[in-house]
Amino acid sequence: MASGSENGEINMMEQVQSWIFSHVLDNHDYVALGPLKVLVLDGKGKFPFSLHLFALIIGVLFLFYLFLVRYNRDTSKAPTGITNFLESIVLFVRNDICIEYIGEADGRRLAPWFLTFFFTIITLNLMGLIPGFTTVTGNLMFTAALGVVVFFFMTVYVVWRNGPMGWFSAFVPHGVPKIILLLVTPLEILGVAIKSLVLALRLFANLLAGHLVLFNMIGLMVVFGVAAAPAIFLALFVFFLEILVSCLQAYIFTMLAALFVAQVLHPEH
Amino acid sequence: MSLTLAAIDSIKPLAAIGAGLVTIGAGMGIGRLAASALEGIARQPEASGKIQTAMLIAAALIEGVALFCAVICIMSF
Repeated sequence: MASGSENGEINMMEQVQSWIFSHVLDNHDYVALGPLKVLVLDGKGKFPFSLHLFALIIGVLFLFYLFLVRYNRDTSKAPTGITNFLESIVLFVRNDICIEYIGEADGRRLAPWFLTFFFTIITLNLMGLIPGFTTVTGNLMFTAALGVVVFFFMTVYVVWRNGPMGWFSAFVPHGVPKIILLLVTPLEILGVAIKSLVLALRLFANLLAGHLVLFNMIGLMVVFGVAAAPAIFLALFVFFLEILVSCLQAYIFTMLAALFVAQVLHPEH
Repeated sequence: MSLTLAAIDSIKPLAAIGAGLVTIGAGMGIGRLAASALEGIARQPEASGKIQTAMLIAAALIEGVALFCAVICIMSF
């Protein structure tokens, strides 16, 4: 009898694990997306319209609606309602992240990019907490794309503005003997690629881990039934922690991207 | 030892132990950070806003490092 119930529990645990991973990772066979199979463009067996792509499209459409339809750009009157709420966040990102790290002129010029990143990341993070949706930023390929954009801005944009020697002089610190420069400069140039990659990895790891913990807590209740009733409070606590982590990680990503671009664009001497 | 499927399956508990070790590092780091932040707020209550902001940022960075290895443990589980 003991081995029978143990077998049932282990079977249930495996089912719960497979459900969790099919909802957290990029799923190409998601059941609810069945009707969209007509959009398959290549003739191979894999269904390219996957779960994360679907959630990403919904999130981006929501952002377009929020900023193009509802945002009131009339500057003659004081902002009210949702314009007021969004504008306070926009001003926070522009003043406390862009202008503080990059300076007035370049900060204002690059502010649209940072605002796009901040609002995209925070919207996609918070969307993942809605039951039934999935976190697009929990996909390493998506955050790696964001990291590639940061890498582009740290190399091509800075070369375009400062010239190649200006870009290189950001990696040569002042006041060190020449023999150490031979060691430090390649490490600093490698650091550009490493910093972008680590930005992407930090965002991905934070969101994936948070959702896995939350789903596993709920999975405890599924597998063990009434005996795991206190897990409800733990899952609720982790849910609120996830809300905090979502907003915080969006701020951290934008702030570190601004810091890294400022270090290469305006090297302090 | 040949890498049969059974051998790889038997390494799974080590991934769980690794995840626990990562949590030790993260807990110690963030605990020290919280202690310093609380001491700073106790000494100068008027600087508590700045201290709180810096504390949250540093906590997110330390947790990021811990979660790098947590993801590796998840992948090898």
